[in-house]
Amino acid sequence: MQFADFLALGLVLLAAVSFYMGESALSGAEDLHALYWLVVGVVALRAAVQVARPAEKA
Amino acid sequence: MAASVLERLSALGAAAQATVPGVYAWGVTVAPAAWAHGSSTVAKVASILALLALAGGVVGEKRWGGTARVASLWGFVLACALAWSATPAAFAPLRIDAPRGIAGMIGWGLFALASAAPALQGRREEERITDEQPLRPRKGLARGDALYLAFGALAAGLLQLFGWHVAMPERALLVRFVGLAAGLGIIGAATEIALARHRKRVARPTMRRLRRAMYLLVALGLLGMTGLLFAFRA
Repeated sequence: MQFADFLALGLVLLAAVSFYMGESALSGAEDLHALYWLVVGVVALRAAVQVARPAEKA
Repeated sequence: MAASVLERLSALGAAAQATVPGVYAWGVTVAPAAWAHGSSTVAKVASILALLALAGGVVGEKRWGGTARVASLWGFVLACALAWSATPAAFAPLRIDAPRGIAGMIGWGLFALASAAPALQGRREEERITDEQPLRPRKGLARGDALYLAFGALAAGLLQLFGWHVAMPERALLVRFVGLAAGLGIIGAATEIALARHRKRVARPTMRRLRRAMYLLVALGLLGMTGLLFAFRA
């Protein structure tokens, strides 16, 4: 496994934690915090997928 | 041998197959409202037109095919809506009982399913079964892929623990919906990452892969700094 694979896994873990924080904030009616954590989760998930994709041949 | 009921029904076509649940839904939800004591003439006429639309679909499907089926569906639904609109008092909470409401929901659900699904087919030829070696799968699950999927499924499952004790129903629904969407996203990402391991890679691709995701990593960094800034200010 390469460094990029570990980074992708770390980003998915970050996304999962962000989604938990976002849902928790949403349950507690803290909408601004929830929005922040959900945006972080979405960006982290998207970054994980982009990092995990193999580089194309030149 | 006489054809079974199912075979005869399947020979009629999709519109005819939808009339059975359609008439049931009409009988449970439209007819009692349109023909109740004191209901308007408009409601009565609309309820009859709804039945005629159903019958017209059965007759017209043989000649005009799908067009007749679509026209029948819309005619039936719009006529029922008109009958309901003309008798708003029939839908007052005290006049609807739970069993009739549930029966109506089931009837309309079955009508929607019968209208949207393809027509039932008649009896098919018995398929030949040959006793041979069991088929070998083209590909097996590679080692490690199951771990990725298990991780994604576990993370998605844990997200579903939220939103069951929220006081407001609207907020509870929102939390459940967000949890479901996030869970699906995590499972999708875990699957993508597992599959990406098996694709062809070029030599020294790390920087190239990071360059492609650079704008997202920068955005993530900015979000992190913003969060820290607000956390320390508060």
